[in-house]
Amino acid sequence: MPRSHSSHAALCAAPLLAFVLPVNAFTVSITPGTPTVYLQVGVGAFSGTLQGGGTPGVNPTVNVVSVTVPAAQVGTGTPQTMSTNSSAANSFWDNRVFCSPPAQLYVGGFYRRPGGGSGGGSALLTAAVPSVLSNGSGGTISFSQISWASSGLGDAGAQPFPSGTFVAGSTQTIGSIPRNEWAESCHTFSYANTAVVPAGTYTGTVVYTLAAP
Amino acid sequence: MILRAALLLVSIFVADIAPAATYRVDESGSFPQQSSTQMRWRQIAPSRGGDNAVEGSTRVNLRLNLAPWLNRNGRLFLVLPEQPVTPVKVSWTTQGRLLPGQLVSGQRALVYVGPIVSPLLEETLVLKMEADGTRLSSAQRLQFHFEIDID
Repeated sequence: MPRSHSSHAALCAAPLLAFVLPVNAFTVSITPGTPTVYLQVGVGAFSGTLQGGGTPGVNPTVNVVSVTVPAAQVGTGTPQTMSTNSSAANSFWDNRVFCSPPAQLYVGGFYRRPGGGSGGGSALLTAAVPSVLSNGSGGTISFSQISWASSGLGDAGAQPFPSGTFVAGSTQTIGSIPRNEWAESCHTFSYANTAVVPAGTYTGTVVYTLAAP
Repeated sequence: MILRAALLLVSIFVADIAPAATYRVDESGSFPQQSSTQMRWRQIAPSRGGDNAVEGSTRVNLRLNLAPWLNRNGRLFLVLPEQPVTPVKVSWTTQGRLLPGQLVSGQRALVYVGPIVSPLLEETLVLKMEADGTRLSSAQRLQFHFEIDID
């Protein structure tokens, strides 16, 4: 009888072992989306619109903001409204008319970054501002003579890139773009016209940089 | 002698019939064709509607050992456990041996119902995965597995 019992146990073990199988789940590793920034000052490049599934491109154009001050007005302190050669009126976000060129210069972009919460929450837009605009003959005008008013057609709230005045010879903050947002404003530039300067064409270049942490 | 014969008969019966239950399937021969899948923003720029989804796809070669349930009726499920960082939505297409479908992490989805007629099931899945890109800040390992419900 004991042998018989032993035989029974061995045979019963077979079906139990059949379900103790080597199990390996297959694993798929996924990696986060790529951080991306896009900045547009003046005209930009976009294939279609964002809402149409478009993607941003590169536009090397450097737009000009300028004003011609009548001789009788030079140095009177009467602000001179500037205009731009930018034609950017529509937002690449949704193609709605947002700025009014040539009076306004489009400033916008977006910041894509995976993850949420605090830390690296915003991309910072700065402008590297020279000390002066020069006429090439020794004449100069301080960049602090130039300011801008910020707005956007249909916008009621605060602008992401608010009104301001260039700080001559500095790198100044223009605004910021929160993580995973699009931000845009239209800038209307003005020359303070408080300095009496020799006749000529005064130029200077401000470089805008959008930097993400 | 009669008692021994009776015991032997019972034992063989048990060996042949797996009880109706849910079992984990041996899929040790299965593997994705890419070691890592780069997820991409569905909309490269943030949208007004807040579409922050990232998407990616990969092909998986499946090799399922169904021998323990040969000639039984069963329902086979693809399972993705809940993910700690963010829910992952998965959809897939097949070559026809399994059903296409979709699930969200934490769920299982039916991929086959009927008799188990072959000890080995080989199939290729094209998995498409989607997650909230604002929450997916580091690489995640999605550990899929298969379960079978035996009638």
